[in-house]
Amino acid sequence: MKTLFQSSVKLAAVMLLLFGGAAITAHAQGARLQLDQLDSLANKASETVDVKLDERLMQTAAKIFTAKDDADIKEILKGLKGIYVKSFEFEKAGEYSQADVESVMSQLRGAGWSKIVGVRSRKDGDNVDVYLMMQGDQIEGLAVISAEPKEFTVVNIVGPVNLEKLSKLEGQFGVPDLGLDQPKPKKNK
Amino acid sequence: MKAKLTITGLIIATIVWAPLTSTLARGDDFDAVVKAIEQFYHVKHQSLPLLARAGMKGARTVARIRGGDYKRIADAGSVRLVFFEDQEFNSHGQIASFKASIKTALNDTWSPLIATLSAKDEEQTYIYIRDAGAKFHVLVVTIERREATVVLATVAPDVLAMLMKDPGDMGKTLTDDAAMNDPK
Repeated sequence: MKTLFQSSVKLAAVMLLLFGGAAITAHAQGARLQLDQLDSLANKASETVDVKLDERLMQTAAKIFTAKDDADIKEILKGLKGIYVKSFEFEKAGEYSQADVESVMSQLRGAGWSKIVGVRSRKDGDNVDVYLMMQGDQIEGLAVISAEPKEFTVVNIVGPVNLEKLSKLEGQFGVPDLGLDQPKPKKNK
Repeated sequence: MKAKLTITGLIIATIVWAPLTSTLARGDDFDAVVKAIEQFYHVKHQSLPLLARAGMKGARTVARIRGGDYKRIADAGSVRLVFFEDQEFNSHGQIASFKASIKTALNDTWSPLIATLSAKDEEQTYIYIRDAGAKFHVLVVTIERREATVVLATVAPDVLAMLMKDPGDMGKTLTDDAAMNDPK
């Protein structure tokens, strides 16, 4: 009887670990957007940039940035699970559809995502949305969707993002300029 | 005694076979990508590299990035290089399909770092990276309207760190470096 009880406890522990692990993995993967459906836009785009720093490459990056100058980068990359950028530039407007944009936006409704910035320009037709996935006080993911008449860009960063330091990633690892520069403190004269 | 011999035999076989399979896998991936290009574009690669192509322009690029005199980027003897010269690379509006075929040609040990495509100019660059023990394998595929290059090189971690900061220039830097040295 004791043996049966012990087996049951062990089985329960194993099940708990399995399900617990699966739940954690599911949440971590939750901030990763599915963007492969956009690949066919490359056929129409004049310029396409597709950057994928997946979890394996992020671990590699954490190992190889050992120089003193790279301390900031290493700090930002620490804990990140991925950086994904897809950017399409077109020669004329209307080359990508609302359905293409919607295929990304639909993933950002619910599932822990909150829009923190939404910019609309009627004059230029530029739309920029910034979404965060939060777990408690911690940011678990970031998504930037920039839809301009001749350009469509999606940036997806998975893992704990330090917004204050994020601007240091701009222009590196293929991350475009996201306009994240922190305002400089005013000097008191 | 017989069991001991069998175990010893298995261990020796593993030791001998492991590096061999690693080399074969590396060669297979490189060849698979070359084959994917040939099948998609109906072109044939040239085994003899035309070293003059690299010229001083390549040396300048590499030197600039290394911050001074030219230094080799890839490990000596680690480079495999294939040229496709003076042939038509026309995706007929299906450049995304070619991207997919490159992905299919490589196994899961490779991580895609960056792909840049220009459908209008038929220009493409693909960079894949994978762990190779203490170092890294970098695979660069560059395609233009009339020529293409496939480079497989082994690089040290500090070199990869330098190259990863600017993945846009990484392909050109490595291809120039490979063309200037002694490709196998």
